[in-house]
Amino acid sequence: MAKKIAVIDNISYMYPRSENFVLDRISLDIYGGEFLGLIGPTGAGKTTLCLALNGIVPQFYGGRFYGSVQIAGLDTLHYPISKLARYVGEVFEDPETQLVATSVQNEIAFAMENLKFHREEILARIPEVLAAVRLEGTELKHPAELSGGQKQRLAIAAALAVQPDLLVLDEPTSQLDPVGAEEVFATVRELNRNLGKTIVMVSHAAEEMAEFVDRLAFLSHGRLIACGKPEEIYSDIELLTRNDLRPPQVASTFYLINQKTNCKVTDVPVRLDEGKNAIVKIAKMAEFDLSSPLPEPPKYSGSPLFSVKDLKYVYHDGTEALRNISLDICEGEYVLIIGQNGAGKSTLVKHFLHLLSPTSGTVTVAGKDLEKYTVGDLARRIGYIAQNPDYQIFNATVEEEISFALKNLEFPAEIVKERTEFSLESMGLTQFRNRHPLSLPKGDRARVVIAAILAMEPEIIIFDEPTTGQDYRGARYILDLSRQLHKMGKTVIVITHHLYLMPEYAERVIVMGKGTILMDGPIRDVYHQTELLGSTFLTPPQAVLLSQELGKLNGHLCPFLTPEELSDRVVIKERQV
Amino acid sequence: MSVDRGEERKVEFLGGASVDGAPVAYVIVLAAVVLALSFIPFSVVVAAGGSFPMAQGILPLVGWILGPIAGAIANVVGTALAIFLAPHTASIPVMNIVGAIIAGLAAGSMVTDGPRKRWWIPISVVLVISWLLYVGRGILVNGVGLWPAFAQSFIDWSGTLLFILPTRVLVGKWLKSKNMGLVAAGLFLGTWIVAGAYHAVQSPIAYWVLNFPEEVWYILIPILPVEHLFRCLIGTVIGTGVIAGLRAIGLVKPKHAIY
Amino acid sequence: MAMMKFQTVERDSFFTKLDFRPKLLMMTVISIVAFVWENPIMEATLAILIIVSCLLVGVRWGYIRTVLLIMSPFYVILLLTHGFFNVDQVKTVLGIQQLKPMFAIPKNWWLIGGGTMSWEGFFYGINIIFKTLCLTLIIPLGIFTTEVDNMIVGMVRSRIPYKIAFIFSSTLRFFPLLFQEIQNIIEAQRLRGLAMEKMGPVKRVRVYSKVAIPLILGAMVKSQQLEVVLQSKAFSGDSDRTYIHQSILRWLDWVLIVFFLVFFVVSLVLYIWFGIGRFFSPV
Repeated sequence: MAKKIAVIDNISYMYPRSENFVLDRISLDIYGGEFLGLIGPTGAGKTTLCLALNGIVPQFYGGRFYGSVQIAGLDTLHYPISKLARYVGEVFEDPETQLVATSVQNEIAFAMENLKFHREEILARIPEVLAAVRLEGTELKHPAELSGGQKQRLAIAAALAVQPDLLVLDEPTSQLDPVGAEEVFATVRELNRNLGKTIVMVSHAAEEMAEFVDRLAFLSHGRLIACGKPEEIYSDIELLTRNDLRPPQVASTFYLINQKTNCKVTDVPVRLDEGKNAIVKIAKMAEFDLSSPLPEPPKYSGSPLFSVKDLKYVYHDGTEALRNISLDICEGEYVLIIGQNGAGKSTLVKHFLHLLSPTSGTVTVAGKDLEKYTVGDLARRIGYIAQNPDYQIFNATVEEEISFALKNLEFPAEIVKERTEFSLESMGLTQFRNRHPLSLPKGDRARVVIAAILAMEPEIIIFDEPTTGQDYRGARYILDLSRQLHKMGKTVIVITHHLYLMPEYAERVIVMGKGTILMDGPIRDVYHQTELLGSTFLTPPQAVLLSQELGKLNGHLCPFLTPEELSDRVVIKERQV
Repeated sequence: MSVDRGEERKVEFLGGASVDGAPVAYVIVLAAVVLALSFIPFSVVVAAGGSFPMAQGILPLVGWILGPIAGAIANVVGTALAIFLAPHTASIPVMNIVGAIIAGLAAGSMVTDGPRKRWWIPISVVLVISWLLYVGRGILVNGVGLWPAFAQSFIDWSGTLLFILPTRVLVGKWLKSKNMGLVAAGLFLGTWIVAGAYHAVQSPIAYWVLNFPEEVWYILIPILPVEHLFRCLIGTVIGTGVIAGLRAIGLVKPKHAIY
Repeated sequence: MAMMKFQTVERDSFFTKLDFRPKLLMMTVISIVAFVWENPIMEATLAILIIVSCLLVGVRWGYIRTVLLIMSPFYVILLLTHGFFNVDQVKTVLGIQQLKPMFAIPKNWWLIGGGTMSWEGFFYGINIIFKTLCLTLIIPLGIFTTEVDNMIVGMVRSRIPYKIAFIFSSTLRFFPLLFQEIQNIIEAQRLRGLAMEKMGPVKRVRVYSKVAIPLILGAMVKSQQLEVVLQSKAFSGDSDRTYIHQSILRWLDWVLIVFFLVFFVVSLVLYIWFGIGRFFSPV
C-alpha cells in the first residue's frame, strides 16, 4: 500500500456568517502517487476541501471547524499556511489572478523566495520545472504574453517548484479553450505517470476525468457521497443525475441502451475505447432501427438579417483576424459558432454590432449597410450577453438595472415601466426586483443581464461563451433561457466550446479556424465531420464518435448526435447462444 | 445537527500579510484600479475645456474602503506607477504623489471614535500650512489681491474648513448609514472635502513651480469650482455603486474601512 | 497592449547596469534642485543635460519628441502669461522699477491691444518651462533604464518594506487586466445603447462614471481570490526572504551616490548663501 500523503479525518466546516456546513463529516485518505479526482456540482464543497488541504480553510477565512487534516504529518491548524505551502502546491481556476509576478521566472521563484530557498537552488530549479510543463525558454516573458493553456501550465510549474508532496488543481481547465484544456490535462497526466506526483484535481470535464484519474471522490452538499474507481462512479448514472452531475457520454449511452432494451447488454463503460469495444459487442447481438426519421432542422428563407460578403478584418498591428468570410443569417435561426480562441469568433460577432468595421468586404444588417448604423442603433436590435455578466451590471437594484438603458435612451416613463415589468416577469425575476444584482448567484446574475437586454426588445440575441466556468446545471440553465428566447421568435447566436451541450439547442453550426469559416451547415452534418473538427482541435461529443463506430460496423450512415438518439435505435435480436 | 462531528477546533490565523488591517491583495487591486483609471481622461465641458483623469474622483473612495494608511499606499502606488508608465501625463510629478497620499489619509481619518479619532489634527495642520503657503506667497510675495486669492482658493479652504469642523465626522457617519441617500450625501460632501484637501496641498507646489501672475488667478476663479463639482459628482456616482455592491457581496471588510 | 510594461531602453549602457539606488537618489536630488532653482540659464543647462543623458542611454528621440509636443501648448501659455502679465512679481524678485519691453501689441487691436511682452517675464517663463522639463524627463532617465526586478530589490535594499515593494510590482502585473476590463465594460455600456456623444455633460459624467463600478467591484472580488493565491504561495509580507535578483552596489554606484550628495549640498549652499540659482534676466 502506498504511503498516505494526506489524512482527512472527519472534518466539518462552516464559513463565518453562514449557517450551513459546507463540508460535512468528510473522511478521506490521499495516497502517494495517486491521481484523485474530486467531482460534484457547484456548491458541493470541492473548492473548500482543496483549501482545507493547505490550511487556508479555516485559518484565513475563520469560521467553525471540526475534525483534522494532516499533511505530511502536520495538523493544518497547528502550522502557519506559509509552512504548509511547502507540502501542498495549489493551482486555481482563473489563469489571470493566480499569476502574481511580472515574468515567468519571477513567478516560479516567488514561492521559493518566500520559503527562503537559496538563490542558487531557485535558479537551478526554474529550468527543471519549466521543462516539466514544456515551457522551456519562456523565462523572461511577461505572463500576459502567454496563452490561457500556457498560463495554467506556468501556474503548475510554479506550484511544482517547491517540490510539494501534493499538487492540488481546482478546475484548472474551466476557463480554457479545448486546445488549452488538452495541454493542461496532458501535462498533469505526465506529471503523475512519469514523475510520480500525487495529484488532486477538481474538474467538470467528465470524459477526461474518466480517462485520467485513478480514483474519484464525489461530493454533494458537503458530504462525501461516494468514493471509488471512475468505472464505479461514472457508471452509476442514477447517482450522478440525482446530484446534477453529467456522466461521460459513453456511460450515459450504454446506460440508456440497457434501460431501453430492458436487458443488461453490457457493463456500462466510462472511457471511449471501452465504449467502442462495447459497440462491437452490441453490433453482434442487436439490430439498429435506422428507418425512423431523425428530426430535420427547419428551413429558413426570406431576406437575411445579417449578410456578410468577403469580409476581411486586419487589426492595427497588422494581424489578419478574418478573411474570406461570407455568410447569411436569417430571422429566427439558432446558430452556434465554434472554434479555438483566436479563430475569429468574437471578431466576427463584433462586426454584427458595429464595434468593428470591415477592412474590406461588406456586412449588411436587415438589408442596410453596417456603416449606416451607429452602435446605439444596433444595440436596440441586437442584444449581446458577454461571457462575464458582471461587466454588464452597473446599478444597485435588479429593477434599476433592467430600466437603466431604457431610461438613458429616453423612452417615455410608461414604456419603461411596461417593458421593465415584462422583462422581470419573463425572466422570473419579479421577486428579486429590489435586490442588488451582485447579491444573487452567478446564474441569476446572467438572468438579470438577459432581462436588461430583453427590455430593449432586440430581434437578435448573441451569447458569447455563456457556459464557460459554469457547471452542467448552470450551463443548461442559461441555454434553456436561450431556447425560450428562440421560441419567442428571436434569432439566437451562441459561441461556446462545449459542443456536447448544443445538439438539443442549435440548428446550424459555423466552424471557424484561423480567421476563416471552415464549415457552415446543419449541426448533424457538421458534428459528423470529425476529421475537419479534429484539424482545428475540436472534439465532437462521444455519442457522435460512437455513432460513427457503429456506422463503420454495419455499413450504414448513423448520424446520431446524442446518447438518446443512439440508444433509441438499438433493437435487441433474439438472443443468440 | 450534533451527530458525531466531534469537538469543535479552535481556529487561529497563524500569520499572513496585511497593511494596517487591509489584506495586501485589496491594496494591490485598488492601486491597479487607480492606475487604470489614470488613463481614462474625463473631458468635462467647462469653459476652458479642462480634462482630468477619472482616477481623481476615486482617490477619496480608496481611503474610505481601505482606511488611512492602506488607502494612502494604494493611492500613491497607483499614482506613481501612472507617472512611471507615462511621465508626460504629469507636469509636476511630486504634486500628484503628495496629493494621492493626503487623499488617502484624510479620507481614512474621517472616523467618529477609536484610537484614530485625533488623526485629523496633524492632517489639518498640514492643510492649513499648505493653504497659508499658497495664498500667503501669492499675496505677500507676488502681490495678488486679497479677494482673488480667497476666491481662487475657495475649494482649498472650504475643503480644509469642512475637514476641521465636525462635518468630517458627519461624513463618516453618513457613509456608514443604511440609507443609500445619506451615503450618497456623505460621498458628495466627503469628496468635496477630501478632493479639496488634496488640492490644497498641491496648490503651493504647483504655484512654486509655475508662479503664475494675478491674471491667471482670476481666470481660475470660475474654473476650479466647476471642475471640483464634477469630481464630486464622479465620486458620488462611483461611490454609491461601489458601496452598495460591496455590501451586497459581503466581502471581508478591511479593519479601518468606513462604509 | 502597449502600456503593459515600462518602456525600457534597448541599449545596454553603464546606466542600465547601475543599481536602482543611485538612480533613486539622482531622481530625488535633481527634482529638488530643479524645484528650487529659478535661474533660466541654469535650469536650461540642467534640462539639456537630462535630455542628452536620456538620448545617450537609449531613451528614444520619438518619446522625448512626444513629451515636447504634448507640453508645447502649455509652454506657449506659460510664455505668454509670464511675458505679458508677470510684471509685479518679476519686479519684486529682481528689485527693479521698470521692465525691458520685448515688443508691444498695437493699441488699436481688439481686447489685447496695448499689451507689452517684457524680457524679464519672458525669461521667467523660460525658467518654468525648463523646470517642468527637468521634473518630467528625470523620470524616464531613472525608470526606463531599470528592470522592474531590480527596482523591487533596490527598494527593499533601501529599507522600503518588501510588502510595499511587492504591492508596487503586483499592481503593475494586474493593471493590464483591469485596463482590458475597462474596454469590455465601456463596450458593454455602448451595447446597452448608450451613445455618450448625444448626452449633456452632467448626464455623460453620470453614465460614464458607472464604468468604474463594475471595475472596482470585480477587482475587489478578484482580490479575495488573489489573497488566497498569495497565502498558498507562502507569502507572508516579511522582508526576510530570499531574492533571485541581486542588488549590489559597485564602485560606479558609489561614485554616483557621492556625486549626487555633493551636488545636492553644494547647490543648496550656493543658492542659500550666494544666491546662485536665483532668478535673473540675461537681457
